[in-house]
Amino acid sequence: MTPKVDSQAVRQAIEVLPLLSPSVTQLLQTLARDGYEIDDVVQIIKYDAALTARVLRTVNSPVFGLLNPVTSLERAISYLGERVIISIVLADQCGDMFTRPLPGYDAQQSALWRHDLFCAFASREMAGHARLACEPGLAFTAGLLHDIGKFVFSPFWAAASGEALERIEQGQVTDYLQAEQLLAGLDHAEVGFAMARHWQFPEALQAAIRYHHAPGLAPEQFRMLSYAVHLGDMLAMMAGADTGSDGMQYQLDGDYAQYFDVSSQDLAVIMLDAEEHFKKAEASLAVE
Amino acid sequence: MRQVVLGIGDLGASNTPGEVVKTYALGSCVAVMMLYPKTRAVGMVHVALPESSINPAKGQSCPGYFADLGVPLLLREMVRLGCPGNGRGIIVKLAGGASVMGHNDTFNIGKRNILAVKRSLWSLGMGAIAEDVGANYSRTVTMSVDSGLITISCPGRGQWEI
Ligand SMILES: [Fe+2]
Ligand SMILES: [Fe+2]
Repeated sequence: MTPKVDSQAVRQAIEVLPLLSPSVTQLLQTLARDGYEIDDVVQIIKYDAALTARVLRTVNSPVFGLLNPVTSLERAISYLGERVIISIVLADQCGDMFTRPLPGYDAQQSALWRHDLFCAFASREMAGHARLACEPGLAFTAGLLHDIGKFVFSPFWAAASGEALERIEQGQVTDYLQAEQLLAGLDHAEVGFAMARHWQFPEALQAAIRYHHAPGLAPEQFRMLSYAVHLGDMLAMMAGADTGSDGMQYQLDGDYAQYFDVSSQDLAVIMLDAEEHFKKAEASLAVE
Repeated sequence: MRQVVLGIGDLGASNTPGEVVKTYALGSCVAVMMLYPKTRAVGMVHVALPESSINPAKGQSCPGYFADLGVPLLLREMVRLGCPGNGRGIIVKLAGGASVMGHNDTFNIGKRNILAVKRSLWSLGMGAIAEDVGANYSRTVTMSVDSGLITISCPGRGQWEI
């Protein structure tokens, strides 16, 4: 079968992606490092006036209900925490990537942002149930970035996506990722991985993006993280924060139980907590 | 046409002509819908989890989130719109409760939601006459006051009625 998508053209589209702003790159590097300090984050943000303004606007948004306005960047950052800060920075600097509709997936404006943001909180909650150490902050960032591949892949995928659900229903493939592979010759996780390399993301994030649908294949040092994001992704889709026609059409890797200790009760609590954080963050960030 | 849009855990009922009650992308959540043809009252609750016992405070602030509290509350809303308190003559339909692929019981919150909703209806002496539940896709549902019709849609799959 000849793929309906020119994978060479997709690769080229990745090569010509503009570089991310230095504040994004630096922040991702910093947050992926063990034992970074709040001051490291302040140092990155303070040189960017627009970003500083946005952080202050967010902390003073009615969602947080603070009595006295926060005017110091350092106070704002320590109050909001790394989760909200990385979300603000990505929304501010890469907003278009997350908010543009995804025609290949039948997804509306901002669907990817909502999906990624929910996945981020759910991945972080999952990390708390890991049998071995799994850094919750890193799980959050990885969750936020896990599906960036869809941004580049979507317009190309539109030529073939009409057949994807049919192929799954007919049992020719086991899930949406395989349908992408079959019909396009590559999938959104692979595309995301190539983007992550292009942008020189820290290795852990590269791995989580690459393996979020096949966490068992991730190198051992990144396997917990990849599973956390894999499960966070499932929870986001279950909560209705999906990206359109591929919603819930992915295989859950049951081997997660080797790495995570979660009962169905735990899962209900995780779902509830993730949803609560998500709603609050969505309201305070208000990405247009 | 005015739309009453329900988020997760929200509950809404209406008998205003021209109005529709709608909820987006149910995923593993379940929409419990009640219709009272006599007065054209319709109501819906977007249930996310089976039992409020996991977080009683949330049950207080957002009872519609849980099957055990949301279903009786929906009946109370219908009664407020003039339906009989014993539920007689109210038609109940369900949608949602989907799961991701891979047959994992722990992650099948959808199935537990459907069971809990049915249990809760049962305890009120009610039962669903139609349902579009389970499988691996997320449903958006719309309920019309004028026609009493329930329309379900899903990206890539079109729309249909129950
Ligand atoms: Fe994905
Ligand atoms: Fe995803």
